Amino acid sequence: MADALPPAPPAAVAAALTETNVRVTSSFRGARIVLYGAVFDPTARPSDVVVIVRGPEQPVRVARKVQVAGLWLNSRPVVFQGAPGFYMAASNRPLADIAGFATLRRLGAGVDHLAINAPAERRVETRYGVRDMVVSRLGTDYLAWRRAVVRLKTRAGLYAADERGVRFVDGGLFRAEIALPAGAPTGVYQARVLLFQDRRPVAERVRTLSVEKAGFERALYLLAHDRPWSYGLASVAVALAAGWAASVAFRRS
Amino acid sequence: MDIYLPIAEVSVNALLLVVLGAAVGFISGLFGIGGGFLMTPVLVLLGIPPAVAVASEANHVAASSMSSVVSYGRKRAVDFRMGGVLAAGGAAGSVLGVEVFRWLRLLGQADLVVSVSYFVFLGVIGGLMLTESLAAVLRRRRGEPAKRRGDRRPPWLYGLPLKMRFPRSRLYISVIPPVVLGLGVGVLSAIMGVGGGFILVPAMIYVLRMPAAVVVGTSLFQIIITTGLTSVLQAGRNQTVDVVLATLLLAGGVLGAQFGAKASSRFRAEELRALLGLLVFLVGLRMGFGLFVAPEEPFILMSGAN
Repeated sequence: MADALPPAPPAAVAAALTETNVRVTSSFRGARIVLYGAVFDPTARPSDVVVIVRGPEQPVRVARKVQVAGLWLNSRPVVFQGAPGFYMAASNRPLADIAGFATLRRLGAGVDHLAINAPAERRVETRYGVRDMVVSRLGTDYLAWRRAVVRLKTRAGLYAADERGVRFVDGGLFRAEIALPAGAPTGVYQARVLLFQDRRPVAERVRTLSVEKAGFERALYLLAHDRPWSYGLASVAVALAAGWAASVAFRRS
Repeated sequence: MDIYLPIAEVSVNALLLVVLGAAVGFISGLFGIGGGFLMTPVLVLLGIPPAVAVASEANHVAASSMSSVVSYGRKRAVDFRMGGVLAAGGAAGSVLGVEVFRWLRLLGQADLVVSVSYFVFLGVIGGLMLTESLAAVLRRRRGEPAKRRGDRRPPWLYGLPLKMRFPRSRLYISVIPPVVLGLGVGVLSAIMGVGGGFILVPAMIYVLRMPAAVVVGTSLFQIIITTGLTSVLQAGRNQTVDVVLATLLLAGGVLGAQFGAKASSRFRAEELRALLGLLVFLVGLRMGFGLFVAPEEPFILMSGAN
């Protein structure tokens, strides 16, 4: 009986973006990019799709408001490394149903599994007789800090998790939307499309997307950073000339 | 009509910025102040990063002050010599202030220092101006003679060396007090994104005892120099001047300032001072509010991660 059926080809996933180069010009107010793709699986096993979009890495500085003598002041800022400037995780159903904790953590799938940490707060010490334990100076508050980073970024529209963000439209065809806010950082973005079967990733497709300043915006930005002093002098000259011109114009009228 | 600001990296309504610029410019021309203390908090509320708001605002203040100082100059209401001495101190102050601000940003305490400075300076000066000018208004209403402004000028003003003549202000005083005053205002200009008129105007009246007629014009003149320099320094050192933002604000600002300067002649001096005092006081309270009220969100993201 156990004869000549050839082994089924492995499942695969294909994906593409409607736009791969987002130009930030003076009219830029964010962008919506559609990612569409298809699952190829002759065995038709149940499949799940997870889309993870990561923007360029940007260290994040966070401070906590602390009350000192009745006044609310900022604490010393804590720098978190490894935080992407933009992050989106979309899936066709809740991530916890698609794969186990360890798998999600390894893939950095979902805002809770982002590999962000504060290396400057780390310290190696001996605790409970165990040597070289890595502890954070933030102590038990560490999670609160970490959660705050995600919460603040989410509020700015820079982090998003949508457990119904991937929609199967017909058979193996699916689509997901990437909403870039106006404040999205410029740089290269990576969209990873992961196919899961039996709680395991079985195929992957990576697409890149670049967000860059263009035209007048780009020229000004470059000028401000490459020749900051000339830029400053020019902007003041414009200001003074405008002020003078207005007073002259009003004198005539 | 939304426009994306290249340095602030946010998108805001362009028309709103022009209208805001005009409103603040009007107040600027009316009271002889830069108006930065009003504009900077509003810009921050609109979502512009504080560092960019402070730096670009200096540019806008320079423009609207320029717009009204020309009209004051024509009325011979500017003491250029006094303005120059104040500005010499102001220049040193803004160099110092930009460095201090840079250092505070690295420490993560820039926002705190900005709110505390607003609260303390605006609260105290606004409160003082308000009580003083309301007393004057009340005395007039009751028909009492105006309290004579003592000609007894403070002796320390005369005991200091390096005296200089200021013919237009009819003063012969040491240059030390105006230089020190300019220095302080220059530092504040960089830290708070203001011209410092709200400190200069009362200080010139009550400390330097300059004639009221030349105070406003002179204050504006020194503000141009200080904020112009601050703007160049912020651009050069911190790359935080957004020229698109500044241009939109000043487009409205220079026009508003003209109307303000015209309107100022229709009000009595003490009524104007009372209004300005009230405005300054309220902004100070609003900025200090966050220091006393438990924040809804205990964490804040800070700009300038590296």
